[in-house]
Amino acid sequence: MSSHDSPLICRAAKDPIAHINTKLAPLGELNGTISAQQFLCHVRQLAKQLPTQHYAINLCDNRYLFMVALCAVIVRQQTNLLAPNAHCATQEKLNQRYKNSYVLHDGGIKTADNIPQFDLSNILLTNHSSDFDIPLVSLDHLAVISFTSGSTGNSKSNHKTWHTLVTSTAINQRYMLPNADQTFYQLATVPGQHMWGLETSVLLALRANVCSSDTRPLYPYDVYQQLAALPSPRMLVSTPVHLRALVDKNTEQSKLDIILCATAPLNQALACDVERLFSTELREIYGCSEIGSMAIKKTAQEENWQRFAGISFKHNEKSLISASAEHITHSVELNDQIELLDQTHFKLTGRSSDTINIAGKRGSLYEINNLLLDFPGLLDGVVFLPPQKQRVPRLAAIVVLNNEASRQQLVNYLRQYLDSAFIPRPLIEVEALPREKNGKLPQSQLLTFFESLRKNPSSLVN
Amino acid sequence: MTTQTLAEQKLANIIVDALNLEDIKPEDIAPEEQLFGDGLGLDSIDALEIALAISQKYDVQMRAEEENTREAFTSLRNLCEFIKNNE
Repeated sequence: MSSHDSPLICRAAKDPIAHINTKLAPLGELNGTISAQQFLCHVRQLAKQLPTQHYAINLCDNRYLFMVALCAVIVRQQTNLLAPNAHCATQEKLNQRYKNSYVLHDGGIKTADNIPQFDLSNILLTNHSSDFDIPLVSLDHLAVISFTSGSTGNSKSNHKTWHTLVTSTAINQRYMLPNADQTFYQLATVPGQHMWGLETSVLLALRANVCSSDTRPLYPYDVYQQLAALPSPRMLVSTPVHLRALVDKNTEQSKLDIILCATAPLNQALACDVERLFSTELREIYGCSEIGSMAIKKTAQEENWQRFAGISFKHNEKSLISASAEHITHSVELNDQIELLDQTHFKLTGRSSDTINIAGKRGSLYEINNLLLDFPGLLDGVVFLPPQKQRVPRLAAIVVLNNEASRQQLVNYLRQYLDSAFIPRPLIEVEALPREKNGKLPQSQLLTFFESLRKNPSSLVN
Repeated sequence: MTTQTLAEQKLANIIVDALNLEDIKPEDIAPEEQLFGDGLGLDSIDALEIALAISQKYDVQMRAEEENTREAFTSLRNLCEFIKNNE
């Protein structure tokens, strides 16, 4: 191994790397614990069969198949494109941007007609070979390009070299896992394609003492069933939305060794409930797609964040914080207002007004408004986040359409480009927006107008 | 449009209420219309909210691993039928 390479996995041959709880066509009858040696065997077989294009739009839904696909792509010295969603419009946009790309999936999705595709559900991965040669990956290799979740397709891409992923995973291991040699059996309610899921459920399994369940349950009942199916010690990787639903059921649960939560702020009361319900420790993680995880907080007990060693924060000229790290090429301006307390601790004091976070998906109001304004039948319109009591807030829109366009056409148009979390509702059609003479629409005026429309439901157009 | 049964009316009210769908009236949800994707346009966050509301109001657990839960979530009518069979 040269100093320019790092192994694809840092596990011993017999180490459990994944736990299969689903019947997967490519694996035949194989289920339960998969060893690192079996995993590598699957990776090698898939790598040999992949098309020759340079970029793989990796849309595999099952976490194990996603892991195998991700690694096979890397072994073939190709780059994984981790799309924010599986929409055909997203596939097409990526294919236009990365000319030499194909869609890599495990069946059950609609693929764009004009893009080459490779369907994992049509092949069989066996594990007859008993050798355990771990492939070496060049540290400079561009392993992954991720895109900001909920983006409108033109968002900034985040380039992750193997060096970036290897270094950040070593840092994450130190802060996210209990200090023990045992293998932690991990269930994650988030997909592997998103940075939070990639860092925890995929990269930790490749390079630390984690064995990752292939499932991604949504309903509390299923989460409990899937946790029960895993050996101890067990850990859960989740989000505030999923944790809230688990606590709502509030039936006593068996012990979990650790819970990690990220993607949106978690309140302290919920953190306390979760710790009590699972007799566990909950670690909340702060991060962004560009850098990944950056800080940790034991939210049930603490109010201040502890920045990871290896990540630096600096005030920039706009009084915002720029985050940087040796393993990331560019520094990143964070969207949150941060108050630095000492060398390692900080407080989050707010969020820049353009950034919205809906169920852990971050988007830009500016981008979404631009998308709205591009709708051909739109005369005037605005998308905004009104104050609301719902657990998961939703955007609202007020629009003026011309005679040829319908509200339904506008909704269909937005659905082509936006993650469903960002589809405004209500989407209200009106005769005119209450703009001032100079064309401005102050937020307070907008909200008063919105309230008046809600109090008078007959004005809501369906 | 097919009319809602009494049970479907009750469930439609629960859904609209749980999701705060203020631009949709409960009686406007066609019993056989797709709830997710192209129809009413609900998403997985909504599925979770609906599952919680159903477990509270009917004491029925939604389980995605079961084929009939996926089937249940396709329309108001199927969801109503699912609850009836599992209550």
